[in-house]
Amino acid sequence: MSLVEVINVTKEYANGEESIRPLDEVSLSVEEGDFVSLMGASGSGKSTLLNLIAGIDLVTSGEIVVADTDITQLSRGKLADWRARHIGYIFQTHNLIPVLTAYENVELPLLLLPMSGAERRKRVEIAMAAVDLTSRASHYPRQMSGGQEQRVGIARAIVSNPTLVVADEPTGSLDDETTEQILQLLERVNNELGMTLLMVTHDADAGQRARRKIRLERGRLMENGKELHTAKIRTA
Amino acid sequence: MTKFIPYILKSLWRHRARTLLTVSGTAVALLVFCFIGAVQQGLLALTSDEDSGRTLIVFQENRFCPQSSRMPQDYQRTIAKMPGVKDVIPIKVFTNNCRASLDAIVFQGMPPEKLKAWRDINLQSGDMSSFASQEDAALVGIDVATRRDLSVGDKFTIGDISVVVRGVFQSATAAENNLIFTQLEFLQRARGANDVGTVTQLEVHLNDTADPDALAKQIDEEFRTGPVGTTTRTKGMFQADTLADLAELIGFVHWLGYACVGLVLSLVATTTVMSVQDRIKEHAVLQTLGLRPLRVFSLVIIESFLLSTIGGILGVVGSTLLLSSAGMSIAAEGVTIAFEPSLALATQGIVVAIAVGLLAGLAPGWQASRAEIVPALSHA
Repeated sequence: MSLVEVINVTKEYANGEESIRPLDEVSLSVEEGDFVSLMGASGSGKSTLLNLIAGIDLVTSGEIVVADTDITQLSRGKLADWRARHIGYIFQTHNLIPVLTAYENVELPLLLLPMSGAERRKRVEIAMAAVDLTSRASHYPRQMSGGQEQRVGIARAIVSNPTLVVADEPTGSLDDETTEQILQLLERVNNELGMTLLMVTHDADAGQRARRKIRLERGRLMENGKELHTAKIRTA
Repeated sequence: MTKFIPYILKSLWRHRARTLLTVSGTAVALLVFCFIGAVQQGLLALTSDEDSGRTLIVFQENRFCPQSSRMPQDYQRTIAKMPGVKDVIPIKVFTNNCRASLDAIVFQGMPPEKLKAWRDINLQSGDMSSFASQEDAALVGIDVATRRDLSVGDKFTIGDISVVVRGVFQSATAAENNLIFTQLEFLQRARGANDVGTVTQLEVHLNDTADPDALAKQIDEEFRTGPVGTTTRTKGMFQADTLADLAELIGFVHWLGYACVGLVLSLVATTTVMSVQDRIKEHAVLQTLGLRPLRVFSLVIIESFLLSTIGGILGVVGSTLLLSSAGMSIAAEGVTIAFEPSLALATQGIVVAIAVGLLAGLAPGWQASRAEIVPALSHA
């Protein structure tokens, strides 16, 4: 079974009196260890799909199964617990907590998991070393460049060794040189740490770095010019 | 949640000016709250302690200010013979101000042996024998001594009365710490007068079986046809009647205490709401990382709890220091209400601060915990 299965998912929301349906019965499977890029025009619904898979948004209909858990059936509290254990989220704008140091930001997800202080320290040090920011551990976000902030964001996303790392336009606010560094880092996360990565980007060059390239067009998911269909229907 | 305490403290420190203003505002409001509580407590102590129900005060009929009550001292002998009476103390009272005043000086002149027998006082300095042996000697309550900076050996003059301080005492009854005790005859002869043989009031101590109301009636009946009519009441009732106007005012002032609580609630809630609105996106990030909505709620509640409790503790400590060091009191017609700090009052202040802190965080905590993550992440 695939690590991620998106089955006939529709997302609809109201914008004033207008009803918007960015996702219309879309289906997608992601295998463990994959690096998938999700591209599409602005407003095509790619970030919406990412947020649904990450469990921070709710489907209108359909199912999303990640590591054998149908997350559409979880309550808000259980979904939060599930995210803590299974999801590493990389934001476009880094979204580090400004009052915490780089070290404390990376440590944050681990505070939600049952582990000793020593184990926590060890994991944070490994994650900081993985993004080559050990020397910046005591720095606050305001004392770092955009690229460094994003590396801290990546360290925070991988520190808990999540089932799935999702990245929403991770290079969207960076210059070319820093974009390249971040993409290389994401490739390492996938290749060397073996983490499954789902990246949303509108940058075609960035999208090409993934092993699978999927486009979202008019509410439909396309791969290699063909629409993706559901492998199976789980609901009765 | 203890793992998140550093984050909470850093969040509070992020807007330190706002935090400090809220804490100081809370401290001032709690200081006023405790101060008002101390005034109410002082009034309650005067009218409800055990002694106030088992002791009678005989005063001249239809007189209120101690300056105008002049009863024959030999009433003491008549009353002492009545069944149920344990002892009678003749007291001459002099006050520099019969109206309500924050710095009234009240002298009570009585025989030294009665003073020793019936006043639960502890000399902080000086000695009783020099008080008993010197005509113009005075024992000064610790609150008066603090207010007027008096110590043993000092000569103290107010109006036409001059005394030499022979002792500074602390009384078990807070209001007595605002009195100056002299010998009875000294006060009867003070200001060039010769009032020997007359007293302001008689304090009648009853034995355990006596009925205070019946005995009060009996005393007034006894002197109805005498040279001076009397009004006899329990000490509690006498003090309540004497302080009736002030009691009404104090009763009104307790609303100010509630207003202080409302002020703290509004202040802490406003700060917490502002803090939550500043961090809508940050809370969404925390929820994305896996923080349960209930934990976000708790973070906000703990923040408002800390703001209110730290301010509350500062206010309570401030009021305790102020009340214990300044020796404040208010007096009217020779009866004083002492503003004393107490453990019960301090506890009440801190409990109020904690409760208000928790209450103030409810709405913003709920707002933070119920926010949808995705729209909140787009929040500027």
